[in-house]
Amino acid sequence: MAKTLAILPSAQLAPLADAYRAAMAVKRRWTIGGLVLLAVFTFLSAWAGQVDLVKFWAGLPRFASYFHDIVPRLRFETFAADMVEWFWNFDGWLALLWDTLLVAYVGTLAGALAGFVLCFLASANLTKSTPVRFIARRSLEFCRTFPEIVFALMFVYAFGFGPMPGVLAIAIHTAGALGKQFSEVVENVDMHPVEGLTASGANYVEAIRFGVVPQVLSNFVSYSLLRFEINVRGATVLGFVGAGGIGKELISSIRQFYYADVSAILVIIIGTVFLIDWLTEMLRHRLLGIVGDAR
Amino acid sequence: MLRLEGVTKSFGGNKAVDSVSLVVPTGQMVGVIGRSGAGKSTLLRMINRLGDPTTGRILFGDTDVTALRGRPLRAWRARCAMIFQQFNLAGRLDVLTNVMMGRLSYVGTLPALLNLWSEHDRAIALSSLDQFDMAGLAAQRADTLSGGQQQRVAIARALVQEPDMILADEPIASLDPRNTRMVMDALQRINKQFGITVICNLHSLDTARAYCDRLIGMAQGRVVFDDVPQALTDEVARGLYGLDAGEIMDTAGTALPAPAAPYQPSLAVA
Amino acid sequence: MSKPAGKIRGLGEADRSEMRRRYPQAFRAPVVERCLSLAIVVGGAALAIYTLWRFGFSPAKFVDGLDKLGIVVVLMMPPDPGSQLWHYASALAETLAIAFLGTLGAAILALPMSMLAAKNVVANRILHFASRRFLDTIRGVDTLIWALIWINVVGLGPFAGILAIMTSDFGSFGKLFSEAIEASDRKPVDGVLSAGGSEVHSFRFGILPQVMPVLMSQVLYYFESNTRSATIIGIVGAGGIGLYLANEIAQAEWQRVAFIILMILVTVSVIDWVSSRLRLAMIGRRAGATA
Ligand SMILES: Nc1ncnc2c1ncn2[C@@H]1O[C@H](COP(=O)(O)OP(=O)(O)O)[C@@H](O)[C@H]1O
Ligand SMILES: [Mg+2]
Repeated sequence: MAKTLAILPSAQLAPLADAYRAAMAVKRRWTIGGLVLLAVFTFLSAWAGQVDLVKFWAGLPRFASYFHDIVPRLRFETFAADMVEWFWNFDGWLALLWDTLLVAYVGTLAGALAGFVLCFLASANLTKSTPVRFIARRSLEFCRTFPEIVFALMFVYAFGFGPMPGVLAIAIHTAGALGKQFSEVVENVDMHPVEGLTASGANYVEAIRFGVVPQVLSNFVSYSLLRFEINVRGATVLGFVGAGGIGKELISSIRQFYYADVSAILVIIIGTVFLIDWLTEMLRHRLLGIVGDAR
Repeated sequence: MLRLEGVTKSFGGNKAVDSVSLVVPTGQMVGVIGRSGAGKSTLLRMINRLGDPTTGRILFGDTDVTALRGRPLRAWRARCAMIFQQFNLAGRLDVLTNVMMGRLSYVGTLPALLNLWSEHDRAIALSSLDQFDMAGLAAQRADTLSGGQQQRVAIARALVQEPDMILADEPIASLDPRNTRMVMDALQRINKQFGITVICNLHSLDTARAYCDRLIGMAQGRVVFDDVPQALTDEVARGLYGLDAGEIMDTAGTALPAPAAPYQPSLAVA
Repeated sequence: MSKPAGKIRGLGEADRSEMRRRYPQAFRAPVVERCLSLAIVVGGAALAIYTLWRFGFSPAKFVDGLDKLGIVVVLMMPPDPGSQLWHYASALAETLAIAFLGTLGAAILALPMSMLAAKNVVANRILHFASRRFLDTIRGVDTLIWALIWINVVGLGPFAGILAIMTSDFGSFGKLFSEAIEASDRKPVDGVLSAGGSEVHSFRFGILPQVMPVLMSQVLYYFESNTRSATIIGIVGAGGIGLYLANEIAQAEWQRVAFIILMILVTVSVIDWVSSRLRLAMIGRRAGATA
C-alpha cells in the first residue's frame, strides 16, 4: 500500500512493537504516578484552602464590576477637570510615593552592603572555616526566609510607626537574598588572581579587594538593581502594617471604598513601577554591555 | 512533474533566490550545488512552502503549490518530504514519536496531540526505522543518538510521509564519511526503487557527480548551470565556487570513495 | 633588572605624547571612569543621607529601638505555642495549600498566555506588545493588593489568598514562559511543519518538549518563594499563618511569635529541600541528554 515502504511481516514486527511498548510502559508509569500525586496534592490543597468554585463563580461579576467601579467617569468635554478631580491629591500621593521609593532605595543599599560583606564569608572558595561559613549561610537564610513585611511588623513594634522600620525590614530581607546570589557569583570566580595575590603576601581582605571584587562587581550591581526593582514593589505595601509610604493610603482607600482614590493610587504605582523597571533594565544593559563578559 | 516559474525570494532588499525557472520530471535525482549563501536552502524551503516566494509560482502537476492554504498545504508538505542538515528532530522525544511526525497530515489532530497513534501507523513507522537498522532504538530519546543515527531517523520520518518527492538540504554536511555514504545510498535507493524525485543540496561536487542524474548550479540566487554531471567541467566548477573549487573537490574526493553497488536493505520489498 | 626600568623612566616627553596618541583609551579612560564612579558613589551616599534626614533618623532613637528589639528577643525564649498549636498547624497547612494551588493555577493559566506573548508562536506585533504590557501591569501590583481585591469577590479566607498568588504569578510566569519559548530552537518546529504538521502540532512536538524542563524548574522555584509570601498574606485576611503572626505580634505574645517563626523556618527549609532536589533531578536529566 505505502508508496515508499513495505510493512514488515508481523513475525518481525511484533517483537519490535512489544519492546517499544515495554519501554514506554515504564515511562508511562512514572508519568501517571506523578499525575496522581499532583491530583492528590491539588485535592488536599483545595480542601485546606477552602476553594469554593460556586462562590468564585458568583463573585466573578463583582471582580469585573470592581474594576469598573474604581475607574472614574472621564468625559471628553470635561476631560481636564475630570482628571484633576480623579487625581485630586496628586501632590500628597507623590510625596508618599517618593517616601516609598526612598525606603526601597536605602533598604536596597544597606541590604546590598550587608550582603556584600557576608557573601565572602559564605563562599566555600574563600572561607575555609566551616563554622564561619555555616553561621554566615544560616543567617543569610534566616534573613531571606521571611518576607520583609514580617520584619516590618516587628520593627514597627520596636521603632514605632513610620518609614524607618520599613527601611530596616527591606534591608534585612535584601541582605539575605542578595547575600546568597552574591556568594553564588563569588563561588564561580576565577581563583588564579586570588592565589597570585596570596602568594605575593596579600592578606584576606586585600586578596578579595584586588582578586575577587573586580571580577564580580558588575554582576553584583546588576543583581542589586534587579533587587531594587523587586523592593519598589514590596515597599508599596509596607504601609499596610504602618511602615511608611503609599501603602497606608492605598489600604485605607480600599477599606473605606474610596473607589476613585484606589484606581488613582494604583495607576500611580503601576506607572512608577514601569518607569523603574525600564530605567533599571537600561542601566543593567549598559553595565553588562560595557563590562561585556558578565551575564 | 515539478515546475518552477520565475520564483524569486527577497529578504529586505537582498534577493536570496532570483527568478528561478525549472522543470523537474518525476523520478529524477537532482543535485543543487553552489557556494554557501547561493540560495540553495531558500529554494528548497520554498518548494516545501516553509518559506513563501516573493514572486513566481511553483506547480506540481496541475496544482499551484504557491496558492495552497490550510489542510491542502499540510498535505502538500507531507508529499514533499524534507531532510535537513541539522536533522531537525525533536531531541527530547523518542525516536518513534519523531518518525510519527511524518504521519501528522494523515491522522486527526486531537489523537496526535495526545500522542495516540493507531497500530497501523506505528507498524509503518517501525518498518521504516527497520530499513535503517534503527527499530531497536525506537524508545530512545532522539538527542542521545549520534548524528548519523539522527539523520537515519529523519529519513525514516520522510518515508512514512509516503512522499512523491524528497527535498534534502545538505543532508550529509554534518556527517562522517561512513554515514555520508549510507545516507546518500539510501536517497539513491529511494529514488531508483520507488521512482521518487529527489532534490538534494550538496556541498561536495564529487558526491553530486557520483549520485545525481542532473546538476543545477546556483550563484547569487540564480541558476547558472543546469545539465548532466558530465558537463560540469573544472572550469564551470571554478566559475561556481571561485577559488574554493579545488579545495572542495580535493577534500571531498579523499573523504568519499565512489559508491559501490546501491545499498540493499535486508527486507522484502512488496 | 635596573636597565629596562631606567629606560622606561627615561621616556621622553615626545615618547609620552606619542604613546598617548597611539593609545588614547589607556590614558583618558581611567580619569573619566574614575570621575564617573566617584560621582555615582557621592550622589548615592548623598541621596541616602537625605533619606535618613527626611525620615527623621536619629542614632538615639535607633539605639532605643534596638534595645526594645533585644528585649523582645529575650522575651521570645523559650518559643511556646501555648494552647494554639493545633490552630497554628492548620494555618500552616493552609499556607502551603495557598502556595501550592496558587502556583499551579498560575502556571496552567500562564502557558496559553505566554504563547500569545511569544514572538515565535504568535507573530503579531500588536498582540505581542499588548500581551506583554498586560502581563507587566499585573506584575506591577503586589500580591497583597491582589489579595485585597479578591477578598471583595470571594470573601475573607485562604481562597482569596490562592487567587491573589495565582494572579500575581500569572504575570510573572507569562513573562518568564514567553521568554523561554522565544529562546527555544527553531529547527524541530521546521521539522514538524515540513512533515505536514499544523502550527498546533509544531508547538506540541517542536517547542513544548524543549521548554518543559525550564518551565517546570521555574514553577518549582516560584513555589519555594510563594511558601514564603503565603506566610504573610494572612495579614490582610487572606488565610494562612500570617493572621496569627500579625495578631500575636500586636498582642506582644512573643513566645508564640517565636514558635510561629520557628514553624515557618522549618517548613520553608523542608519545601526548599524537596523542591531543589526535584529541580536538580530535572536539570540533571537535561544535562545528561546534551552530553
Ligand atoms: N531568514 C532569512 N532572513 C534574511 N536573509 C536570509 C534568510 N535566509 C537566508 N537569507 C539570505 O539568503 C541568502 C541565501 O541563503 P541560503 O538559501 O541559506 O544559501 P545556501 O543554502 O545556498 O547556503 C543568503 O545571503 C542569506 O543570508
Ligand atoms: Mg544552506
